[in-house]
Amino acid sequence: MSTLLAHIAISDGKVKRSSLEVLSHLRQQADEHGHSVAAVIIDPDADSYTGEVQKYGPSTIYTISDSIFENHRNTPLLRALNKVIDEVDPYLFAFASTEGTKDILGALAANQQAAVLSDVSAFELTGNGITATRPVMAAKILSENEAEGDRILVSVRSGSYELQEQDTDAEVIALDFSMEESDIKAKLKEIIGTSGDKIDLSEAETIVAAGRGAKDEEGQELIQELASTLNAGIGASRALTEAGVIDPSLQIGQTGKVVSPQLYIAVGISGAIQHVAGMANSKVIVAINKDPDAPIFDIADYGIVGDLYKVLPPFIEELRKIKS
Amino acid sequence: MKFYVCIKQVPDVNAPIQIKNGELIQDTDRMILNAYDASAVEEALVLTEEHGGEVEVVLVGPDKATETIRKALAMGADKATHIRTSGDEAYDSASYAHILATFFQDKEYDIISCGKQSQDTDAGLTGGMLAEHLDLPYATNAVGLSIEDSKLIVKRQGDTGQEMIALPTPSLVTCSNDMNEPRIPSLKGIMQSKRKPVESVEIADLDVEENKLKSKTKVTGYREKPEREAGQKFEGEPEEIAQKVAQLLDEEANVV
Ligand SMILES: Cc1cc2nc3c(=O)[nH]c(=O)nc-3n(C[C@H](O)[C@H](O)[C@H](O)COP(=O)(O)OP(=O)(O)OC[C@H]3O[C@@H](n4cnc5c(N)ncnc54)[C@H](O)[C@@H]3O)c2cc1C
Ligand SMILES: Nc1ncnc2c1ncn2[C@@H]1O[C@H](COP(=O)(O)O)[C@@H](O)[C@H]1O
Repeated sequence: MSTLLAHIAISDGKVKRSSLEVLSHLRQQADEHGHSVAAVIIDPDADSYTGEVQKYGPSTIYTISDSIFENHRNTPLLRALNKVIDEVDPYLFAFASTEGTKDILGALAANQQAAVLSDVSAFELTGNGITATRPVMAAKILSENEAEGDRILVSVRSGSYELQEQDTDAEVIALDFSMEESDIKAKLKEIIGTSGDKIDLSEAETIVAAGRGAKDEEGQELIQELASTLNAGIGASRALTEAGVIDPSLQIGQTGKVVSPQLYIAVGISGAIQHVAGMANSKVIVAINKDPDAPIFDIADYGIVGDLYKVLPPFIEELRKIKS
Repeated sequence: MKFYVCIKQVPDVNAPIQIKNGELIQDTDRMILNAYDASAVEEALVLTEEHGGEVEVVLVGPDKATETIRKALAMGADKATHIRTSGDEAYDSASYAHILATFFQDKEYDIISCGKQSQDTDAGLTGGMLAEHLDLPYATNAVGLSIEDSKLIVKRQGDTGQEMIALPTPSLVTCSNDMNEPRIPSLKGIMQSKRKPVESVEIADLDVEENKLKSKTKVTGYREKPEREAGQKFEGEPEEIAQKVAQLLDEEANVV
């Protein structure tokens, strides 16, 4: 019996859903193959999240609580992750594919001489490793992969697995950790524009995404109105984050985030493959575009061909009626 | 400052692709400089134009990848090293990171920059691996770079906000394409690139430990993504079609 370990990411004081998706899948894989499941939380206040994490079936939860983890920084995080690996000796260590994970995964794999597959959309244990599916070529196609060895790291795209509750009485083990600020050569000077109360796109049920077609003030107002009507998160194509119209952390696509909401409304977005790479797994896609040949219509469940300035006001009004 | 930029030749994701018996069939004439690496080259050029210094590009790849090196030289890089492979090896990010780490062992530099990911595989691993091998402080997913007091100031895109990080030298940074528009080589740049030095190194001469080159991961095949069917498309009176779709979202799709 080996240990499968899930990393639990905390963001804005909340456990990331995508981490619990990974944990749920590990539980299922462990049951199938006769392994045990552990989770690790690294945060200034790690112990306050064990209750929630416990619901998804780990038998052990390791915590590392230290104020050094107030903000994401790769040096202390790597030190902590290496320590956890030394302690737990997991056969498989799985992460949600957040920017935080992307920042450390390569370095951690190199340090551990582990086999690593990043950003997979599915994986299964085999006798001597894992098989995994990865979207490649700007997510136009899927590659099948194998990783072998006695230490395997994997990061998983958000929305790849359903949450599955399985309450356990997990043992909580707090690990010692200490690190001096002076050991950190990369100095974090400042953080600009944290999302605060904004909706986390990787977890949003509904997303309204704005493209170049909705670049001006009137377009942005309409997008805001539509989003607040649906209680949706706002996302954007690169055209708008590049132009400085929308916060760069809201870019969706190959360079930006991968999202998988129930409803995705693309407004004034052409549907370039690099954008589609980040949103093609949405359950229902609505596209509003004045060009009937825009590629976004090839993947939209509901396509509205028209000028967004004329389409959105009655669309918002009708949705308001439905909502009330 | 001495910049080394690691550049990779990748297939153009916009070119048509076919899958036959699980194998990927691509037009080998459509190989390009990885877009994220083009941004890394651009940024190194801007910083050395401003603060002085030199930009050298390093590429691990087959003979055919020379054209990609020429592209970076035509943009303005000063020189290049081409670490030659046969092109038949099934290298993964870890293999490339080992090769590059071996190359950098006895080199002097201030900054090594990489792309944040390969455009074709989106792996995003090589930069962090290389930093670990060389024991360098690093930052990934940079969307802006500047130099202040001989430190590299990196603006990186994190999960929610942007983090400003000061890196001492030597250090490593991986670049997003969200930091600049890479310049298009001018005719003069293209002419000059032909006279710029390209050092050629055979993989065998680098003495990379054999067992480190062996990939722990492999691609066993490719398949089509389950096709997403185009659904209903509505044209006509804006008010009418907008209302219609709103109602369908409620009654048919059940998502509002
Ligand atoms: C390596 C790489 C990575 C990339 N990563 C990303 C990424 O992560 N995310 C991303 O989005 N892009 C990414 N891109 C860029 C991508 O290729 C496109 O350039 C970008 O998505 C285009 O944004 P857009 O659809 O808003 O703009 P455009 O392509 O200019 O489309 C605007 C659309 O709006 C429509 N329109 C205009 N006016 C109106 C109106 N009044 N009413 C209705 N419709 C209107 C037009 O018909 C058009 O279809 C990447 C590119 C590269 C090379
Ligand atoms: N063969 C290579 N030659 C030079 N640099 C490379 C090579 N492979 C990867 N890199 C660097 O690593 C980055 C991509 O890492 P990855 O996504 O892991 O493939 C690229 O943007 C390059 O900067």
